[in-house]
Amino acid sequence: MAVSIKEINNILAEYFDIIDSYFGSIKHHLGQEEDSHIDLAVHMARYPLVSDLIIDAIDDIDEQISAFWQKNLKTVVEYVKQQDSLKCLYSGDISPVILENFVKRSAFYIDTVILADPIYNLTLFQKQIILDRKYYLQKLIRHVFNVWKLKDLALLDSPQKVIIILPINLQLVNQESRNSLIATADQNLAAYVGKILDVKLDSGEACLDYLEKETTADGLFKQFKHPELLPRIFASQESFQKFLADFSNTGKFAKFKERESVGWDFGIYLRSQFIRVQEHKHFCEKLIAEPIYDYDLPWFFFNYEMGGVDMDAAIATALQNEKFNWISKVPLSAIAVMRAENKLEYMRSVLRQGVTDLKAKKDKDLIVVGEQIEANLKDAFAKQESEIGVLQAQVNKIVRKDIPITSAGFLAGFIPPPYGTVVSLLFAGRDIKKSLTERSVLETTINQKNKNFINLLLRSYER
Amino acid sequence: MSDKIDFDFFGDGLRIFLDYIHRQFKKNPKYMPHPLIRAFECAIQGAEKAKVGQTFMGVSQNGTPKNVCNPFVVVMEKIESGVGVKEIRNIKVDKTVPIDVMLIIFRLQILLDRIEGDCISPAQMVDALNTVIPGNKFYALGDRWKEARDEFMRLLEAGKIRVPNNSKLIDGLTSITYNMTWEEYPNNVRAFIGSSIAQKDNMPSGTVIITSPTNSKIEKFKVFDSATEFLLGESSEFLNLRGKQENNKTPDKNEPSQ
Repeated sequence: MAVSIKEINNILAEYFDIIDSYFGSIKHHLGQEEDSHIDLAVHMARYPLVSDLIIDAIDDIDEQISAFWQKNLKTVVEYVKQQDSLKCLYSGDISPVILENFVKRSAFYIDTVILADPIYNLTLFQKQIILDRKYYLQKLIRHVFNVWKLKDLALLDSPQKVIIILPINLQLVNQESRNSLIATADQNLAAYVGKILDVKLDSGEACLDYLEKETTADGLFKQFKHPELLPRIFASQESFQKFLADFSNTGKFAKFKERESVGWDFGIYLRSQFIRVQEHKHFCEKLIAEPIYDYDLPWFFFNYEMGGVDMDAAIATALQNEKFNWISKVPLSAIAVMRAENKLEYMRSVLRQGVTDLKAKKDKDLIVVGEQIEANLKDAFAKQESEIGVLQAQVNKIVRKDIPITSAGFLAGFIPPPYGTVVSLLFAGRDIKKSLTERSVLETTINQKNKNFINLLLRSYER
Repeated sequence: MSDKIDFDFFGDGLRIFLDYIHRQFKKNPKYMPHPLIRAFECAIQGAEKAKVGQTFMGVSQNGTPKNVCNPFVVVMEKIESGVGVKEIRNIKVDKTVPIDVMLIIFRLQILLDRIEGDCISPAQMVDALNTVIPGNKFYALGDRWKEARDEFMRLLEAGKIRVPNNSKLIDGLTSITYNMTWEEYPNNVRAFIGSSIAQKDNMPSGTVIITSPTNSKIEKFKVFDSATEFLLGESSEFLNLRGKQENNKTPDKNEPSQ
């Protein structure tokens, strides 16, 4: 039997109730700023003594969330599979840096954003490898409230769910398939590293052993024989060094830093990316969903593996580019308006103009696709402004010429020419009523156009 | 955001802890929180219905009729904006309970809740105390009691131990034989001899040796009582467990999170 949206909303409401029962008493600290969840997390984790109490008090959230998904996973997966719509599965970090902005950008093109449950991943898996309890608390609060901010949108009663949260992790894949995915990732890692260094590497292990020998970022950079195969952030020595320093710094809080070597760190990072790609591919296939990313590095490795993606994945991901930062100014209510107006398909057709699967596949950095959809949006805005302009001119005409005169005549008993004295007051009344109705219809149309989703987008673009 | 939010450090911790208590009640309606919380609840209930300026006192304890443990008093006053805490006191040590000690008690409650039953082992007690009280000051003697006994004898023979003029302790010391098991030693003798392990291992000053036999069971309420004694009672002056509070450095928002 088909799973109803009501069932899904009840399940999601229960999910948010769990969050509320653990973190509800500090949610009042969330500010209006888009990154308030990050600030709140940093502050809470820094509380002397109190942060330890919070960590202990919320320690069993993993049991709650695990029990919750054991009960509901099948139903939610069934619902996702039965949706014949454009669904995109996010991958990259535990959750997008600012989920609200990510969803705003995505929801103007895709029906449903599928988000890996950050609480599930953090409390059941990452917690095991994070060495610093305060760091864990910071991450947990940050991602919990990242999701919490979208509670209303997640529970929106629209024909297609805007957001679906699901437990997605390689550990949930049966062992045989998991081993196969990891083996593929290791093979791909060895092939990739072999290509960029121009050496023959037979396995993931051999690859890590080879990289481990290099102890400095400079030395490692000099070994790159094919820099054109590297992500853009690795293309300059300076940015490559910074990346490795940041990555190593993160390693202080986790158990993965087994060996003191820059080359080893780099190898571990690459391996994690190749495994993540396999995981993402696996779950996209299972859920019949397209991949979506919010920043360059994970996107690069997915794209490298796939040899490019199709139009929908490319547009959805290109909308996350910096040039569309202005979409974050669109109020969340605009998404609700667009869904209520059933205009998603129209928006898609606007964005798709001039983009093809072939063009998307060739455009690894999504520069061409990004420029095309920016141009498409500008066209749509220009058309919108022009339509509103024409309507407004008509309203102004009615207001200036007809209504004041006929109104004055009606009110004063004076019937202006050309009706002369033979025109009855009733006729004059009908005339006024007709003009008023016409104006009212036009104003309503303008009002609707002003309130519609494309105008909400336009206003955010102009701000 | 930091400048805009007036963070109520203790209030946030307390609210999150009360949410924890609430979840425990949902799991087990017979759940019994620490007397401090029960006293808090009683005082709040009274103060909520009172007129502004009136005070209410909540009192609670645990233990047994013969051995009252953790007697806490909470005094609250009805104020315009709600209720305000006037005093939180442990009657046994007769001291006001400071915020850091309350937080330690709350954490101890959570850790002990994770262990099923009403009793815990000495090793579990030491683990719990070392987790909540900074400094790793507690040590479970466990099966090393023979080492402690022999070290005690060595120090005694070398004249390096002064036995207090306490007839009960002296009687206890004279009653022990070499073949006695640790369980057969009187409690005060175990405590006196067991602490010799600290000298043997050069443990830092202020280390508390828990000398209970490995298989013994310690009631949870006694663990709370001991913690309060260590932190606020007479022994707190020597132990100085509440010295410097930590302020851990956690990464700021600009540091990488992945």
